[in-house]
Amino acid sequence: MSETARFTEDILSIAREKAQSIISKAQEDADRILNEAKSNFLREASEVVKTAETEAEAIRRRQVSEARHTLKLREQEEKNKILTEVLDQTRKRAAEITADENRYLQYLTKLSVDGIQEIGLENVVLHLNANDLKRFGEKLNREIGRQMQNPGKVEFARESIDAAGGVIISNDDDTIRIVNTFEQRYEALEARLLVEAGKLLFNE
Amino acid sequence: MSGLETIKIIVDAEKEASRMLEEAQRKATEIRKQIDVTIENRRSEALQSAKQKASEITERAENEGKSEAEKFERESSEKLRELVTKSSSKKESAVKKLVELVLS
Repeated sequence: MSETARFTEDILSIAREKAQSIISKAQEDADRILNEAKSNFLREASEVVKTAETEAEAIRRRQVSEARHTLKLREQEEKNKILTEVLDQTRKRAAEITADENRYLQYLTKLSVDGIQEIGLENVVLHLNANDLKRFGEKLNREIGRQMQNPGKVEFARESIDAAGGVIISNDDDTIRIVNTFEQRYEALEARLLVEAGKLLFNE
Repeated sequence: MSGLETIKIIVDAEKEASRMLEEAQRKATEIRKQIDVTIENRRSEALQSAKQKASEITERAENEGKSEAEKFERESSEKLRELVTKSSSKKESAVKKLVELVLS
């Protein structure tokens, strides 16, 4: 090989190496950039999946929780239905005592005596509904007299009260009243009746 | 070979070397340009695939949640029916006890 040929071969060889080096460097840079980017977008993709997994868990929980809530409401509705029925029946059944004259008289006497003792006055006025006033009047007075050693003066109000049964005990001028009507007793006992009914029906 | 011919050969070789380097630079620029496109394509593929997977995960969760809720509802409805039957059978005795309480 001539000197010139060796020289030109050297020039071309160096150029080839340099060219290869330029391309290799560009390829290395590209690979590095791609790897960095890959690591970023794979993280990004992994976040998308992770978010979906979290959301999936929330979806599952929400659906079960909604079902549980709906069932709880239905259970409460059913219980309320039974409770309402039992309390209505109790109110009705308690009011039926008025049909049993002897038993009702005893009960009315007890309500009156309790009220007279509670009001603690010499003279008291008893207020009854029209039917009770007509049925009992003096009978009730006698029963009260039998049960209390010194009942004082017991009178009956001429005006009847609007109640299913029971009695209101007041002083002469009607400024102090002990209300022992069925309605009042029922209202006063309602919270306790609910608790008792819950225990009896649902063991709560 | 004359001196002139020798110079021409060397000049041609240098031209060729220069062309090689230009070509290499062009390829390097092309590689660098291409990388942005490659990254965007790969990113888009990866995200597309992740979104698809995410959609499958949530869809599966919807179905699983639904069937879990239905199972829970079946079991609880049965328990509720039992509760109602049991409580209903206690209504009469409860009324009696409550009436006693009202009239006591």
